Amino acid sequence: MTEPWDDLARHLPRHRAPADLRAAIARASVPARPERRWWWAPILSAAATALAMALLWVSVLPRVLPSDPLQRLQRAVLSEHARTLLWGEPKDDVVPAGMPWLAQETGIDLARVFAGDNDLTPVAGEPVYLEGRRGVALHYKDDDEHVVSYIVLPAPGLAVPDGKRVPVGRYRPGLYRAEGFALLVWKQGDFACFLISDMVSADDLDRFKSYFVRIRETTEPYVAQ
Amino acid sequence: MADPEFERQALEHLDALFNLAVYLARNRSEASDLVQETYLRAFRFSHRFEPGTHLRAWLFQILRNTFLTFYRLREREPVASQDGVPEWETPMFHDAPDQDSGVMDAHTDLERALRRLPEDFRTVLLLAEVEGMPLEEVARVMDCPVGTVKSRIFRAKERLREFLKDYGTR
Repeated sequence: MTEPWDDLARHLPRHRAPADLRAAIARASVPARPERRWWWAPILSAAATALAMALLWVSVLPRVLPSDPLQRLQRAVLSEHARTLLWGEPKDDVVPAGMPWLAQETGIDLARVFAGDNDLTPVAGEPVYLEGRRGVALHYKDDDEHVVSYIVLPAPGLAVPDGKRVPVGRYRPGLYRAEGFALLVWKQGDFACFLISDMVSADDLDRFKSYFVRIRETTEPYVAQ
Repeated sequence: MADPEFERQALEHLDALFNLAVYLARNRSEASDLVQETYLRAFRFSHRFEPGTHLRAWLFQILRNTFLTFYRLREREPVASQDGVPEWETPMFHDAPDQDSGVMDAHTDLERALRRLPEDFRTVLLLAEVEGMPLEEVARVMDCPVGTVKSRIFRAKERLREFLKDYGTR
């Protein structure tokens, strides 16, 4: 009789890839098409109203902390986003000039970083301390004055539930809606990354997802040396 | 982007990559992310693959490098549980999706012992003994000489034997 360590192939369970992973990878081979929409203006006022309502609602949120670590992080990054909307000051020299400083402050370096394009302009970047974790927050603004916050926090072991994942281009982030905001959550290695905005209508959400693809493809956090 | 034939050939190794990813990342959800990131990189850098060489070893190499690059935080800082024993020693599925719970329950002593091995020992064992890769290919994945691979396999089995003694299996 062979010992288990002498015949691992027979004694260890073999894990087969889930079917949806194969489909997701196959989708990854199709290049994402850049989107540009020109008919946002009519919904601008509605979005502004929604933003004001959402901010009002955030201020009266119950202060009971959920036990789920992902929910706690979501609540924290949502508050951070709301704080930026209310009191954030433009610091447009941060991307990319201030990245070494951010890495030094947070222990998180960005191998590559989305530095903006025709639709999104970087407006601020700063270290954050949320749920006992040091992280990096980068804030962008689009032509309609939507603020889009990218926040990355160390979160080894944290998982994004499959049930919340949606296909966005070649990726499968978790999509959440809370308090008038939309959040996309994904893992990059041991980091949890969040993209937050008030773009919750169907059209806005499509645009928000296109922002996600740009940022996801061009931003890569890793542990600073 | 990669050509369709390259993608088809690469996807033939999906199950093998996923299996190694589960043993590295320690849960299926993160293993999925790791494998997806591996394929994204493989497709993006497919022009660097030399036709005629072993695609499987190349893919495993990308997967391992991706793991080491982006999961170093975990390798450096195992989270201590309430009793002070690092989570490294115990299953880490506490906040994984529900569907992982079955996997957690199914852990055998051998799997638990395997998880206690350092990453370089664990990976050589899985590649050589589970995937049946020739030692030369394993050496390429691990970026070390064949002699080092042989030595790691031997020492890894010795450690497994010791760990399993701890569990009272043998």
